[in-house]
This record gives sequence, C-alpha cells and structure tokens, in this order.
Amino acid sequence: MSENNEKKIHGISAEYESVDSLLNACRRVRDAGYKKTDAYTPFPVHGIDKALGIQPTILPWIVLGCGLTGTVIALVMQIWMNTYDYPYIISGKPYLSLPAFMPIAFELTVLFASFGAFFGMWALNGLPRFSNPLFTDPRFDRVTDDRFFLYVDASDDLYDSAAVTELFKQTGGEHINTVLEDDSPDKIPKPIFMMWGLVIATSVVPLLIILKMRVTNSDLPRFHIFFDMDFSPSKDAQQGSTLFADGRAMRTDVPGTIARGESGYDLDFMTGVQMDKLSAVDKPGAERLVRLTLGPIGPQDEGPADSAEEEVGEDDAPKAPGVMETIPWLTANPLGNSREVLERGQKYFGIYCSVCHGLNGGGNGLVNRRAIKILPTQKTQNWIPPSSLHQESLYAENYAEGKLFSTISNGIRKMPGYAGQIKTKDRWAIVAYVRALQQSRNATLDSVPSDRQEEIIERQNQVQQELQEQAEAEKAAAEEAAEN
Amino acid sequence: MSLAIPNGLDNSSEKPGERAPLVLGDTTYHDITESVCKVAERKPSTSWVIGFLISFALLQWLTVCILYLIYTGVGVWGNRSPIFWGWPIVNFVFWVGIGHAGTLISAILFLFRQEWRTSINRAAEAMTIFAVACAGTFPGIHVGRAWLAFWLAPYPSLNLWMWPQFRSPLLWDVFAVSTYGTVSLLFWYMGMVPDLATFRDRSTNKFRRFAYGVLSLGWSGSSRHWMRYEKAYALLAAFAAPLVLSVHTIVSFDFAVSQVPGWHTTIFPPYFVAGAIFSGFAMVLTLMIPARKMLGLEQLITIRHLDNMCKIILATGSIVGLAYGTEFFIAWYGQVQEEQFAFLNRAFGPYWWAYWTMVTCNVISPQLFWFKKFRTTPWIIVIISIFVNIGMWFERFVIVVTSLSRDYLPSAWAYFTPTWVDWSMLIGSFGLFFTLFLLFCRLMPVINMAETKATLAKQHHMSHADKH
Amino acid sequence: MAKMNDKEANHTVIAEILIPMSEHDTPQVKSADDPAFQLPATLGSLSLPLCIGGLVALLAGWGIANSIHARFGMSVYLTSFMYCISIALGCLFFVILQHLCRAGWSVVVRRIAETLMLMVIPLGILFLPILGTLFAGEGILYRWDDPNHALENHLPIIAWAEKTRWLNSSWFTIRAIIYFAIWSALALFYYRGSTGQDATGDKAITDRLQYWSGPAIMMFCGATSFAAFDWVMSLAPMWFSTMFGVYVFAGSILSAHCIISVSVYLLQKCGSIREEVTVEHYHDLGKYMFGFVFFWTYIAFSQYLLIWYGNIPEETEWFYHRQLDSWGTISIVLILFHWMLPFAGLMSRHVRRNPKLIFSWAIYLLLLHFVDIYWMIMPESAANGAEASPEGVKGVLASILSVTGMFAFMIGVTLSIAKRNRIIAFQDPRIRESIAFENI
Repeated sequence: MSENNEKKIHGISAEYESVDSLLNACRRVRDAGYKKTDAYTPFPVHGIDKALGIQPTILPWIVLGCGLTGTVIALVMQIWMNTYDYPYIISGKPYLSLPAFMPIAFELTVLFASFGAFFGMWALNGLPRFSNPLFTDPRFDRVTDDRFFLYVDASDDLYDSAAVTELFKQTGGEHINTVLEDDSPDKIPKPIFMMWGLVIATSVVPLLIILKMRVTNSDLPRFHIFFDMDFSPSKDAQQGSTLFADGRAMRTDVPGTIARGESGYDLDFMTGVQMDKLSAVDKPGAERLVRLTLGPIGPQDEGPADSAEEEVGEDDAPKAPGVMETIPWLTANPLGNSREVLERGQKYFGIYCSVCHGLNGGGNGLVNRRAIKILPTQKTQNWIPPSSLHQESLYAENYAEGKLFSTISNGIRKMPGYAGQIKTKDRWAIVAYVRALQQSRNATLDSVPSDRQEEIIERQNQVQQELQEQAEAEKAAAEEAAEN
Repeated sequence: MSLAIPNGLDNSSEKPGERAPLVLGDTTYHDITESVCKVAERKPSTSWVIGFLISFALLQWLTVCILYLIYTGVGVWGNRSPIFWGWPIVNFVFWVGIGHAGTLISAILFLFRQEWRTSINRAAEAMTIFAVACAGTFPGIHVGRAWLAFWLAPYPSLNLWMWPQFRSPLLWDVFAVSTYGTVSLLFWYMGMVPDLATFRDRSTNKFRRFAYGVLSLGWSGSSRHWMRYEKAYALLAAFAAPLVLSVHTIVSFDFAVSQVPGWHTTIFPPYFVAGAIFSGFAMVLTLMIPARKMLGLEQLITIRHLDNMCKIILATGSIVGLAYGTEFFIAWYGQVQEEQFAFLNRAFGPYWWAYWTMVTCNVISPQLFWFKKFRTTPWIIVIISIFVNIGMWFERFVIVVTSLSRDYLPSAWAYFTPTWVDWSMLIGSFGLFFTLFLLFCRLMPVINMAETKATLAKQHHMSHADKH
Repeated sequence: MAKMNDKEANHTVIAEILIPMSEHDTPQVKSADDPAFQLPATLGSLSLPLCIGGLVALLAGWGIANSIHARFGMSVYLTSFMYCISIALGCLFFVILQHLCRAGWSVVVRRIAETLMLMVIPLGILFLPILGTLFAGEGILYRWDDPNHALENHLPIIAWAEKTRWLNSSWFTIRAIIYFAIWSALALFYYRGSTGQDATGDKAITDRLQYWSGPAIMMFCGATSFAAFDWVMSLAPMWFSTMFGVYVFAGSILSAHCIISVSVYLLQKCGSIREEVTVEHYHDLGKYMFGFVFFWTYIAFSQYLLIWYGNIPEETEWFYHRQLDSWGTISIVLILFHWMLPFAGLMSRHVRRNPKLIFSWAIYLLLLHFVDIYWMIMPESAANGAEASPEGVKGVLASILSVTGMFAFMIGVTLSIAKRNRIIAFQDPRIRESIAFENI
C-alpha cells in the first residue's frame, strides 16, 4: 500500500455495532466541535439529526412550490383550452365549468408535488453519485446490512487524524479507517459503453425512417395497415343504397327540421308566397304549404307534395293555368337590393349555381361543358342543358321574385331543391343577384349614375382596345404558325 | 388441530399496554438482510419456474388477443348495444381497485404510524404498480383505435386543431390513473433504493453489482440523506393518501356523473374507495400468504400482519355492505321509478346470479373474520380472500352490465354474453400481473429491509425500556 | 439474538449514562389524587351558570325565532340541536375508533371525548320538542308531516304514498328512539368502562372495550347515517342523496377533533394535564383536523359535483335553493372558509405544533361547523308557499342565541359530569405510551 501516501485523504471513519453506541459517538463528536461529520446507517435512526446537529431540510418548500405550480398549470390549461381556445358545449355545461376542472387540478397538483419531493430529494442529496471514497473500504459494504459508521471529513476545521481516531476509540468505534480517494478506473467499461451506444443508435432508426417518410414523396400506393378503417364500408354522399325505398344512401332531413339560425322567419319569407292571399284563395293548399315548410307532418304528406311538384316541373307547356301561375308570389325581395345583399348573393351564386348556370348565368357552367364533352352523341340529345337565366320568361315581370325563390328552394325539372343546402336568407340574396345579372345584360348607360358614366365609358373603350389588340396578336400568331 | 398456530409464531394477541412484536424470533439486523436477500440470490425454485412459465404463457396469450383485437376491431368482444362497456371496463375497474391496497398500506398506514405495514408494504406497492399496468391496458384497447390513444393527451396537434374535453370524467380518469401510476412508481422505487444498495453491496458478480449499483443511485446510508429521504417519503405519503382516494373516486365519477339508473348515486365515491381497499387487501393476502411460505418469510410477515389485514377486510367489507344497503334504501326512498327498477333488476332480474354472488362473496364471506380463528389461519384467509376477489369482480360486473343492459329504453334492452376474447383477456391479465410479480420476487427486495430493521431497533429499544 | 443482546446491553448502559433521556424514559404517571387529573375549579364552577344561562339563551333564541313563524322557530331549534349532537356523536365515534385501532397516542385526550359523548343522553331529552312538532300540529317543522303537502305541491300521489310509509310521525319516533338507544348504550358502555378502569386499573376492561368496538362502530354508522337522513335530509322530503349521512358525519368528526383540542388547551390553561398532553398530541390533533377538513371537502365536493353534473331536477333542487340570495353567499363562505382557508392554514407542521394556533383554528372550525349545519337546515325553513330566508338580523340573532344557548347548556352538563371523575384515563394500560409519544 505504498501509493496510499499519494492519494488524497478524505477523512476518517469508524464502525459501530449498535444504534445506541453510534448515537453516543455522534453526540461526543458533535460536542467536540466537529462540523463536517456524517453517520452512515442501514436504516433511518431516530434522533440522529439532533445527535449530529443536522439542520432541517428545505424540501417541503420545494414541494409546496411544485404543487402550486401544478395547480396553476392545470387550471390555466383547462380554462384556456376548453373556455377560450376551443370552446364547445358538452352535457349542457358552461364553457367555464370550475367543478369539472377540479379533479384534474387536484391530480396535477399531486403529480407535480410528488415530482418535487422525489427529484428534489435526490438533488439535495447529491445523488446519483456512483463514486464515493467511502465505498473503497470493503467493510463499508455492511453499512447497508447491519453496521453503523461515523465519519469525520478531513476538511473540517478541527480535523486532526490522531484526535479523531482517539475519539472514535473512546466511543467504542472499531475498524477505524482512513478514507482515501477512490482510484478505481472511472471510465465506463467498453462493452457497456458500446451497448449503450448501440441502443441509442437503434432507437434513432425508426425516428429517421419516419422523418424520411415525412419529407419525401413516393410513387407506391399507400400501405393500409387497417384496410377497413381507411375504407370503411359506410356509404359516401350521393351513393345509392338498397336499404331505403328511395334508393339513396343520403337521407333527407326529417320533415320539420330547422337548421340553427333558421328559426324566427315569417312564412312569406320562408315560402316566397303571400300567405294571406293564398289562404284566402286556396285554404287547403296554404295549409299544405305551411305543413310542408314547418312540419310536423307525417310521411303521408310527403308523397302528394312531391308528386305535385313533379307535375308542375314536368309540365313544360301548361294547358290550363297551373298552380304555379295562380299562386300569389311575393313580388319584392324582402331583403332589398343593398350592396351587401348583392355581394352575398354573388358569393352563394358562385358556390351553388354557377357550376351549372355559369358564372354569367348563361347556362353554360362547368357541368354543362363537361357533359357535352364526355357524353356520346346519342346521349347528348337527351341532355337537358341548364337554363339560361337570361330568358325573357325569367325576367322579373314574368317570373315573380317569390317564384324564383321557390324554384331555388324546391327545384324545377332536373334541378334539385337547394333549401337543404342554402340558408333562407342566402337564397333571397341569390334571387337579388340573379336579378342583377339579368339587368346587366339589358342595362343602358342611363341606368348608371351620371357621375360614374364617364368612368364606365372609359373602361368600355379600354376593354374594347384590349380585345382588339388581343385579336390582332392572335391573328399574327396564327399566321406565324401557318408560315412555319 | 389443523387450526393451531405453530408455537412461537403467534403474535396475534396483544396485551393492552404492551405491543406485540412485529419481527419474530431471535432475529438480528443481519438475519433480516439474509432472509430477504436470499430470495433473490438463490437459484429459482421449481415452483417459481412453473409459476412463471404458466404466467408468461398467459401473458403471451393476452398479447395475441390484443393484437387480434386491434387488427380486427372491438367487435371481437361481447360489447353490443346497449352494453358498450362490457368486460373491458369491468376488468379495468377491478384491477384499479386491486391497485389501491399498495399505496394505502404505504401511505395511509404510514401516516397513521401503523408499523406493521413495514414488512408487507414493498410487495403491496409492487402489486399496485402491476395492477395499474393491467388496468391501464383495458381502456387503452377499449378506445378502439388504440394507436391513436395519445389523442387523450392535451398536446398541440397540427392535425386535430382541438383540445381534449376536460369536462369529461373519462379524461379525468386518464389523468388520475396515470398520475397514480407515476406517483406509485416513484414511491415504490424511492422506498427501494436503500434496499437496492443492500443488494449492490452483497452482490458477488460484476453484472449484478453494476445493475444494482446503477439502480441504487450510489446510496451510502448517510444520515443527512436519510433525513431528507424520510422527509420526502413522508411528503409522498401525504400526497399519495388523498391521491389513492381520488383515483377510485374519479373512477366512480365515470359512472356517477351520468344519469344511468343505478349509476347516478352520490354514495359512489366513498363506496368505490372502500371497495377498492377491500379488494386490494384481499389480493395482498391472496399473494402474500403463499409467498411468505415459499420464500420463508414467516418471521417477518407474521400472523399479526395477517390478522390486521383481515380486520381491514372486515371493516371495508362491512362498509361496502352498508353502501349496498343504503343504495337500496335510497332507491326506494327517492321514489324514482327508474332507480327502483334498476335495483330490483339487479337483485331479481336476469343477472340475479351475479348480484347474489357479489353479496355472498363481499358481504357475507368476510363476516367470518369476526372470529379470530379465521383471521389467524392462513389457508382460511386465502380462501376468503379469493372469494372477496371474485365478489369484487362481480360487483363491477353488476354495476357495469346490469345498469347498461336495461336502461331507460326498453326496446334496446339486451343480455350481455362474453366472447372467448373477453374470457382470454381477463385470464391473460392475470398472466401479466403474475409475470410481473414473479419477476419482482426474483429481482427486487420483496420486503423493506431498512424499515423492518428500524422496527426491530424500536422493538429492542422498547424491550430494554420495559426492563426498568 | 444472544450476541446482539450482550452488545446492546453494554451499549444501553453507556446510553443510560450519556443520553439525555427524552425518549428513553418511561414516563411516570402521577398518582390518582393529583390535582392535574381533576377538573380545575375555575371550570367546574362554570357548570351551573352555563347550564342555566344556556337554557335561558336557548329559550330566548327559540322564542324570538318562533315569533317570526313556527317553522322558522323549529328550524332554528333543529339547527342548534344538530350542531350539538353532531359534536357529541363525533366524540363518540372518536372514542370507539381509538379502541378499534388500539391507539396509543390518544389515551391522554380520550377522557375529554368520553365525557362529551355522554351528551347524547341529555340531547335525547332536548330532541323531544322536535318530536313534539309531529304531534302538536301538521307540518310544523317537517313538510312530510303535513297531509296536504303532496296535493299543494303537485307531487306524484303514488310516490308520496310510498314515501310517507317511511316518513310518518310514529315510525319516525320509533326510529329516533332506536338511534338514541344505540348511542346512549354505546356512550355509557365506553364511559363506564373507562371510568371503571380508573378505580381498578384492570387491563381486562381495555380488552373488553376493544372487543366490542367492531360491532359498536357498525351500529354507530348505521344509526348516524339514518339519523342524518331522517332529521336533516327529510326536511326537503322529495330530495335524496345517498352520501348525505357521510356528509353530516364528516362535519361531525371534524368538530369532535376541534372540541377536543379546545378543551385540552383550556384545561391546560387552567393548570391540568400540563405534563401529560404535549405538543406532540396537539400535532396529531392538528393533523386530524387538517385531514378531516380535506375529508369534509372531498365529501361535500363529490356530492355537489355528482348532482351538478347529473343535472336531474329532483336532485338539483336542493343545491338550487342554496345558490339563491343569502344562501348563495353562505355557500361561497363555506367554500372559502370551511375549505380553503383552514386547508391552507393547517398545512404547515409549524402551525400544528403550536398549541395556541391549534386552539384558534379549532375555535374557528367550530364556528364554521355551525355555518355548515345552518346551511343544511335553514334554507328549508320557509313557511308554506314562501321563499326561505335568514329573516334578517332578527332571524340570525335568534339562530345564534339559540345555538349558543344549547351549546352552553351542553358544556355545562359536561362540566358537571367531568367534576365527578378524572379528566384523563390515567389507569389506561397505554397511558405511558401516550405520554411518551413522539411524532416522527
């Protein structure tokens, strides 16, 4: 043991056989004025804190802090997420339901406080610490079995090895031992190091694969682990079904269904008909119309209503004036003609009507164009193109506002009713916009306010010039192509 | 007589004014170390190997069933309209309940200074964690798309753009059970560190020394460390005690906040907690009595320990019985037709057999523990404990299935029939539980050596004090 | 063990000499006649004035309340009664529980609870006016006692007919007699056993008391739970909550620990049991107070949450009344001051180890316990067809006067009993353990 001299001396330890002798020794050591002392025991010894003069720990404060943090985090998280960021009603409870937020607030308080107690304790104890000079003594292994050790650190102000040894001897300490620096290799053994590295390396692989998948494209079809979850056997919109009598998979609304925000309108507004007049003329018809619009009606009412509509729809050239002609339609748009209404109408016309009727209302929308393009010739004959909205028969004087509204709502010929898709107000807005479209074809300069006429003329000229230029350019290009 | 207790091992009677010993025989500190460590150090016994193989096979069967379920869908269970919470939820509540005794023994008995907890708390805590693992499995796979279960966590999702619904008791459950699992794990591990250091210091081969060295974090037994350690332990106990109450309370909220007749009753929280403690202790006894025999720990886990646990079973069993009675009474007193029907249906409807099994096992069988002879005879305790476990499983079955099978809408009434997958998963979950428990017995200190030594020190101390 | 013993013995000798003996000492118990074991004369002399003054205050308060209207008067009386009996029952439970657990620490304070629990017997007499309301008129206090109640409130007739099979005056009276018989028998059994031990020091008595503690606690729980249903829950006859008995019990056991702390502190102030009850016992009482504040909150919150969440009209009615007007304020007061404030205040170990603070918190919680009882009972005090209210300063004063009176009377009787015996179970076999007891 010649190298002992070169090693750093940490302190002196002594071994005791019982709790009482250790406690006695602790008191003696404390009374002798040593400060940097410690006792090592296989179990917590009651009263040793006093015997050694150990100060109480601040751990409870750390734990209190962590616990309160948990409470605050839980409450803020729940209130922010469920009340502000993503509010929705569930079980009829208010967005801010404190009673319902209590359980999680409690759980997170406990969780955070427990983390505080657990990690705080190890941190305050300076653990994990795998190299400890005391562990160099093989006898020290018994500290976790049945022996008690007392230790005085060399850095203590009063430290003197002879005096400490003497004190230990007096108090019945055995195997008094000078604690030396742990000189065992502190490198991690290679196999362990390599295994560790291997584990880390392999654990990265799946991550890398996912990362690569996220940023690259692939020509291969998608791999479906759960085929029936990706392609569930449920029906999609517009598909057929043998389950229902009407052969449709989609179900219509239960009669009398009123969408959110759709209640509170008067009957005229909802039907486009002057109900007072109608009921004066045709009371049963008016009643049927009310039932049809508002419900509740039984399925027996649905049949006649449908057939009546079809009758009207298919009757292109009515012999006698039909129902549609005799109905006292509303003649004015209840929404008026404000810019707001027109813009709204433009928007919904663009969404719902233009696919067939075309953005300009000419009847040549995308559906029509595609139909003509893809249908074989013999079938094209059967294709009924969407109506142009610019027929005179559809002008306001021939086709009342209310009737137009009713047509949008209930459909005509091949056109389905849009009452289910477009809100009542928006349908009226579309009516207003259709009128505007019709006017735009027949408008004269006089109908423009005088202060803006000039602007219009200028713009007209500009457009004409542009069109001319374009035509010339096209011509030139065609000639060039022909030459080549 | 077969009921006689071997001489010298009976510490179940205590004269007033003296405390009966909790560690028996001429035991020294070193003896405690020896008897606990040798469990892990010696070669595994044949019975251990057989037990392990059986449990492991069952665990594999559970794994297969889970894979089959995930691949096919939850239709492989017997859950059908209107009983959408069938066996999986019954099993979940059953296992969570089992998981209550461990923390209860560790935390509440610690706070009440019941020293007899020291030699059983470790195994009971381990049991808690394994039971919570079993419990967590069921809601995890019950959600249907188990691979998306992480949606339950409040994480900022770029795909969903939404947050979990914190007003739902099912989400409280996620937080409660995971908090409980985490805190129990911390508590268990923290309590084990000094004992792992003992393992480290006794280990003879390099691998064990390294593994236990890492796990014991360099524990040296320093008094300063002990002081903070005890403080932290007391604090964790103080949190774990209300936590353990909160967990089963929240599980009971899953049922009680709804309006389903038979579920919506305010007694549920304390009644569930009592039931959980009841079943937890029954499971501890079911496991510990064979274990103490096989591992040779009769001097540490004594008859008095068993006696005390039987008393707790008796007390909680009676509370549960009282709660059954109160429910019945209030169902009649409240004069709500649906409630009345729900309770009559439980007792005399198509599931009468489940109800009466429950009452027999839970209320009647523990009443035998009024007699000391039954409390101190291990094999009788095991039988009654198994009865209690069966009864508590049936209690959850009765609550979940009878209420759902006949609720407000008679046209939707149905009778629940479990499928082979239901059966396999229930049995398989025991495989998971026992596999983990048997591994624990082999690898970890099954008894809290440090605390038992402290109890022994106190015992010596008191016997000295009494001499003068 | 042999080798261990030798060494231990050696060291013990050293320890004997060197260790300042705090924990090693086996404490000596004073002799039976020691004045520290007697009720201090200052307190004993208060007995008669408290009894008389209490009765006067009770009658005055009750009288004032009665002048508002009859149901208000009886509700005030019932509030006072429930307040006192819940404390007495809490003490009874405390005593049985200590025997059930073979508790050591509590022996030095157990006699206080033992004396207080005897109050269930005089309170049985004070219950007579409440029974009297059932026979003196129709529905003076309990609405179900009014045969027209169902008709006036459009209650389902069949349900009501079933209900009145349980809620009718004769069966109600029989049940009350059963409850009081159980409680009185238990109280007398445990009191006699414990005071009997004072004379003989017979350890077999402890064994006997422990032996019966299991059945005793079962009987206690059953009787108390049903008494809470009968006396308080049935004030709102259509309302029901399975947890209600537990809720009343939670407040009761909390206030029992409070009154024990208060009594110990006052006794020590007057010079008794100063060396027997130490800061460690205050610490423990404080822990239990903290724990039961939490327990009360847990039960109250669970009951509220389940009813709030379920949102079924026949259940929410009870809480709905308690969210209106001044009752709503009291509900908030309970949340803030029966839960949050004492919860935060009792959390620290330093508070719990300070007798003066424990005394103050105990007084505080006893006051809040009254608010709790008041909140349970008084919102049901409305005259038929009216909304209940605290009836202004007059009504509140009447309530306070009445409860102070009954409480003072109860304490007066307790003191007169305490005079006859020692205030500590000094012959209990665990008394030394209790005196030497230290928290970890």
